[in-house]
Amino acid sequence: MSAHHDDHSHGALQMGHHHVSSSAMFFNVLVALLILTVITVGASRIDFGSANMLIAMAIASIKASLVIAIFMHVKWDTAINRIVFLSSFLFLSLLFIFTLADHATRRWDHEMHTTRTPVDKQWVYKQHEHAGDH
Amino acid sequence: MTTNVPVIDVHAEAHGSGSTHYLNCSKGFWSWAGTLDHKRIGLMYLIGTGVAFLAGGLFALLVRLHLWQPDGLLFKDNVQYNQIFTLHGAFMVFLFVIPAIPGSLGNMVLPLMLGAKDVALPRLNLLSFYLWVTGAVLAALAIILGGFDTGWTFYAPYSLYTDQAVVTIGLAVFVLGFSSIFTGLNFIVTVHKLRAPGLTWFRMPLFVWALYATSILQVLATPVLGITVLLVAFERLYHIGIFDPRLGGDPVLFEHFFWFYSHPAVYIMVLPAFGIISELVSVHSRKPLFGYKLIAFSSLAIAIISFLVWGHHMFTSGQSTYAMFAFSFLTFFVAIPTAIKEFSWVATVWKGSIALNAPMLYTLAFLIIFAIGGLTGVILGSLNVDIHLHDTYFVVAHFHYVMMGSIALAFFAGLHHWWPKMFGVMYDETMAKIACGLIFVGFNATFIPQFIMGSRGMPRRYATYVPEYQPYHMASTIGAMILGVGVAVMVFCFVASLFQRKKAMQNQWGGVTLDWLTPTPPPLENFAEAPTVTNEVYDYSTLDYKAMQTPVR
Amino acid sequence: MSHDGHHSVVIPAPGPEFVPHTVAHHFDTPVQEFQAAKLGFWLFLATEILLFGGLFAAYFYFHESYPETFRLGGRQLDWKLGALNTTVLLISSWTMAMGVRSAQTSQKQKTLMYCALTVLGAAIFMVVKFFEYKAKNEHGLIVFSELFHPYDGATGSIPWFKDYHGVMAGVPHGHLFFAIYLTMTAIHGLHVVIGAGLILWVMKGAAKGRFHAGYFLPVDLVGLYWHLVDLIWIFLFPLLYLVP
Repeated sequence: MSAHHDDHSHGALQMGHHHVSSSAMFFNVLVALLILTVITVGASRIDFGSANMLIAMAIASIKASLVIAIFMHVKWDTAINRIVFLSSFLFLSLLFIFTLADHATRRWDHEMHTTRTPVDKQWVYKQHEHAGDH
Repeated sequence: MTTNVPVIDVHAEAHGSGSTHYLNCSKGFWSWAGTLDHKRIGLMYLIGTGVAFLAGGLFALLVRLHLWQPDGLLFKDNVQYNQIFTLHGAFMVFLFVIPAIPGSLGNMVLPLMLGAKDVALPRLNLLSFYLWVTGAVLAALAIILGGFDTGWTFYAPYSLYTDQAVVTIGLAVFVLGFSSIFTGLNFIVTVHKLRAPGLTWFRMPLFVWALYATSILQVLATPVLGITVLLVAFERLYHIGIFDPRLGGDPVLFEHFFWFYSHPAVYIMVLPAFGIISELVSVHSRKPLFGYKLIAFSSLAIAIISFLVWGHHMFTSGQSTYAMFAFSFLTFFVAIPTAIKEFSWVATVWKGSIALNAPMLYTLAFLIIFAIGGLTGVILGSLNVDIHLHDTYFVVAHFHYVMMGSIALAFFAGLHHWWPKMFGVMYDETMAKIACGLIFVGFNATFIPQFIMGSRGMPRRYATYVPEYQPYHMASTIGAMILGVGVAVMVFCFVASLFQRKKAMQNQWGGVTLDWLTPTPPPLENFAEAPTVTNEVYDYSTLDYKAMQTPVR
Repeated sequence: MSHDGHHSVVIPAPGPEFVPHTVAHHFDTPVQEFQAAKLGFWLFLATEILLFGGLFAAYFYFHESYPETFRLGGRQLDWKLGALNTTVLLISSWTMAMGVRSAQTSQKQKTLMYCALTVLGAAIFMVVKFFEYKAKNEHGLIVFSELFHPYDGATGSIPWFKDYHGVMAGVPHGHLFFAIYLTMTAIHGLHVVIGAGLILWVMKGAAKGRFHAGYFLPVDLVGLYWHLVDLIWIFLFPLLYLVP
């Protein structure tokens, strides 16, 4: 729940009610972050095959979430501030998804023209013959 | 943590009388150059973007003149031709179309419509303007350094190899990008935090909704343009290689980055125009908007969908077939919210009490031109058709129907609409209507021939062409000259009104949004008393006819 | 609340070592001012995410194109220095969080101390970075003195990529990893320097007693900026030093 409201009726002349986290909590988060860093290095020594990237990014995301939620106070921030910051990751993922999907599927284009069906192959042969004419 | 804090008066002087307003409340160069008042900043934006528009228009006329005959009329070589059309594109896109409406009319009107004293972050607002100025100076510097011939799109790998001032103009675009980001950021905060009591989200005028949706795009898309032009500059400086095929890079990646911004940028440009039209159809038909919520939500829908379709600019780039299917399919979805708007505007005019004054004439011209501009966009969004039409004058005509015919005309409409509010003076209506007619005729005469020759294969960006296309080019050039004359008459009409000082009415058109409920021109902090909103938006039963007949003091 | 332009609201100082804060005239309440500035800053941080996001997208794009180049390139970086810098930044993030907390609880000396520690962290980070760049320079993987020399398309050799020991010889476009490494870490390093400058600026205000329980907005915002710098490094470390 958010302590702040999107209106002008707030009577308090302070900056509003702010969550002041305990020092102990900040310290625990720091310890967790350092342990996760050790895990990051450790995990990189083991070969999980194609899951390597996924695992590295998963650990990094857990660390990032801790920083965002606790150090950056997002856990106690207003809904709109949370939406703003998290939506930046959402829109960034659009850039990633479409760009990398294009890159990954270009291989299929190539395969379609070389291996898939006899019809396709014929089409490729014709292209080659055509190219030979010039 | 005490709550009963004394309230201290730091503004010693009393509030001015009714005849002091934001234009005459203080004098001198620094009272403008250092102003934090949103209206003064808006006015400076209007002058700046207006000059950029006239410069960009001049470049366009030069290009059209050159194309009068197949082997070219004006320029000494192709490089010069390339430079001039690049200048036209870059000036129009980065210095005019993107900043013009939010920077000038948005700054001027948004806080008024919200019942606020200013935008939420006035210093950042002034910084935005100076970033714009810096960008403009850098762009001018790039011209002095020999110009740039990449087209406004800076496509790699050509932009990496050409020997022209690409780094300088890249820097200009980076700076202009942050100007745009800060304006958007400011507007989002202002809409969230400075709405007058009672002004709920669904009582906000649609111009505010449109600017809000625009701001989301400015904040979320522009940074990617920033990093893209930086990377192009780095490529030229130290050869990273990511866009350079010789070094293992991929120019298609550049196109992905560029259009991730520049497709949403199309909506950064057009959404504020939609907002102006939404206001004007209602005020000048004196009728509540048909489908208010639909128009409001369609702005947001357009903002979101615009992030999913950028690949339709890349159908002939070597992008994978599967990505093209997806992008083409998704592109059609943009047509839905856009059509909702168009139909709602037409339905608003229907059976309204229509006043055929200059702003309304521009609005009606917009409705016609935008229908053509939008529908040809759907044609270009279809994958197979685009393969034929890509990089032809059909594309040029399509986006000019949107950029010039829709956005610039909506800007003119808004300018005529809020001119009496901004300055307290009225322009010569007859002359304004003549200008509107010239612009409408000239515009269509310029670009209809371009649709035809484009569909017949005339490629864009060529300095010379085969003689078969000459009649179309000649028609287009004549049209451009008419358009140029129309714009000149309009500018003269505006400037003359400042000298004639024919007094406008307090509420010239009978608007019922908050911007028309404050004195004309508005005082420094906009409202003598804090407004509280109790009515629904566009409720013309509340219209005070007396304000329509009371001249400005 | 009144909405007139005649009065500005003042937040009193909680003690003699602090100064009061005057709310900007166009805001009605301190809450409104605080929330407006904070929302604006979150929006700015969102733009930073998307700006860096472009670089990350380029990383993934070429990691997929040339996995061997990236794997081999990553091995040329010293992961121990990378881990050291990660630790330094994480600790500095913690000191910054504590600095904001101290401002929130009107502890002037502690605010100054934690901010100073954060700046120290930034300095250590940049020194380590300097030695890393120096090592790359010595191995000819990034020859800084020739960074801006023109590229000769005919010979196809990039002036700043000499690879004296031939460590990248067997893979295509070996320079690409180091170009991306340099670009990402240089832009990140620039943010570290700007962040440190902002913290110094905040310390100046804190020394004058401007920040306390009633008003700590600048400390809070600069803190957010610093955590963002940390956030980006959390991803850069595994991607560059421990290339998966």
